Amino acid sequence: MENILEVNNLCKKYKGFELQNVNITLPKGMIMGFIGENGAGKTTTIKAILDLIRDYTGKIKLFGLDNREDNKKIKENIGAVLDDMFFPEILTPNDINNIMKDIYKNWDSKLYFKYLTDFSLPNNKAIKTLSKGMRKKLEIATAISHHPQLLILDEPTSGLDPVARNEVIDLFQSFIQNEECSIFLSSHITTDLEHIADYITFINNGNIILSKTREELLEDYGIVKCSKEEFEKIDEKDFIQYKKSKYEYEILIENRKVFNKKYDIDTIDKITLEELMVLMIKGEK
Amino acid sequence: MLGFIKKDLLMIKSNIKILAILLLIYIVMAFQGQMDLSFLLPFMSVMIMMSTFSYDTFNKWDAYAITLPNGRKNSVRGKYIATIILIIVTTIIITALSFTIFYAKTKIIDFENIIGTILGSLFATILLQSFMYPAMYKFGPEKARIGIFVVVFGVAIIGGFVTKYVDLSPMIKMLDSIGTYWMIVFPVTMILMLYISYKVSQRIYFKKEI
Repeated sequence: MENILEVNNLCKKYKGFELQNVNITLPKGMIMGFIGENGAGKTTTIKAILDLIRDYTGKIKLFGLDNREDNKKIKENIGAVLDDMFFPEILTPNDINNIMKDIYKNWDSKLYFKYLTDFSLPNNKAIKTLSKGMRKKLEIATAISHHPQLLILDEPTSGLDPVARNEVIDLFQSFIQNEECSIFLSSHITTDLEHIADYITFINNGNIILSKTREELLEDYGIVKCSKEEFEKIDEKDFIQYKKSKYEYEILIENRKVFNKKYDIDTIDKITLEELMVLMIKGEK
Repeated sequence: MLGFIKKDLLMIKSNIKILAILLLIYIVMAFQGQMDLSFLLPFMSVMIMMSTFSYDTFNKWDAYAITLPNGRKNSVRGKYIATIILIIVTTIIITALSFTIFYAKTKIIDFENIIGTILGSLFATILLQSFMYPAMYKFGPEKARIGIFVVVFGVAIIGGFVTKYVDLSPMIKMLDSIGTYWMIVFPVTMILMLYISYKVSQRIYFKKEI
């Protein structure tokens, strides 16, 4: 399968924070959810992919091209939604159309205005008069109206109500339907990713600690809830992390079927991404 | 690249009502002899472009622009070309107004005096903007604005001391000799200043981490 995005050994050092050998591979036609707590390195990674930060080591390839050497070609095929970074707020959606048609070769005004109508966005009101949710929808409409092959989205659904979130998720799903397009998105709203992501990549403290398909994570991984006595009988090799709560132990395991065969513990549940995040970050080994 | 120029021009257009009101007030003041219109050129161009920088920073446009095709290069270029367009338009308006007001008051047209004054204020405008833009890109509008004021006041104070205690007659003689070629020297210097400023800004923006 052809890869649309490849990040190899990306390292970037800041005072008090470091991205360490970040590796990401996103195949064509797939959606990758990028998760991690605040300050884990999600936005820094996205900024490096988009060439917003320069002084890093490692290789980043998009559509098989180097992100620094073939910048223009790459940017023509990318749509980006970044947290709070957009057009100056005195401009209107109409102004954005006027500007973008002279920036992108493939800018599709018809499609852009169709999205504005679908999202019930006004054409002539300044961005500053729009609500946070409307503004986000405008950012998304702007990002996809030049028929990009890759969407890079940093928290695209934050600030949206459940109905709007649903609309946006439907839009993302229809975006990848032709199997030529891909989406790389970071989000705190892990339930959204459980619905749409094909791959989940988890970053913690500047390190990628997990990158799997959604099926592997949500079908194979599990959470065992047991007593202290039961926990003490479990071999350390058979779990990833555990968290001790007031009445029970919560244990993250890699394969529910294998675990079930080996141990006589009844409560082995499927895991949600939220539980996975909490156990990976707050858990112990 | 045209899109980046349009972006700044559309931002200026968004504030057109306020600018028209300001212009009207200045015209009335100029008619009453309370203000020289030549002052309007640097004031309006610098103020308008400074506000575009402030909006850009507030909405993190600089970061967004880099996600667009050729964003690093064209964002800076667009800003400078929009500035040149703005300067040309304001110069035409102010020149026309200056001639009209002068003629209405004196019933004569003093071509050399008016053009000389306009060219002087144009030079001041471009000088200020040539220093201002790299500072804006490097430090952001807040710090750059303070820096520019400090530099302008510093130059004024140092200039005051120099003219008081140093004999400037040789330099004045030299300027007088250049003065005969001012129609060539001034425009060439202005273009050179803007070009150097553009190159410095582009270098800053090219290396910028956001």
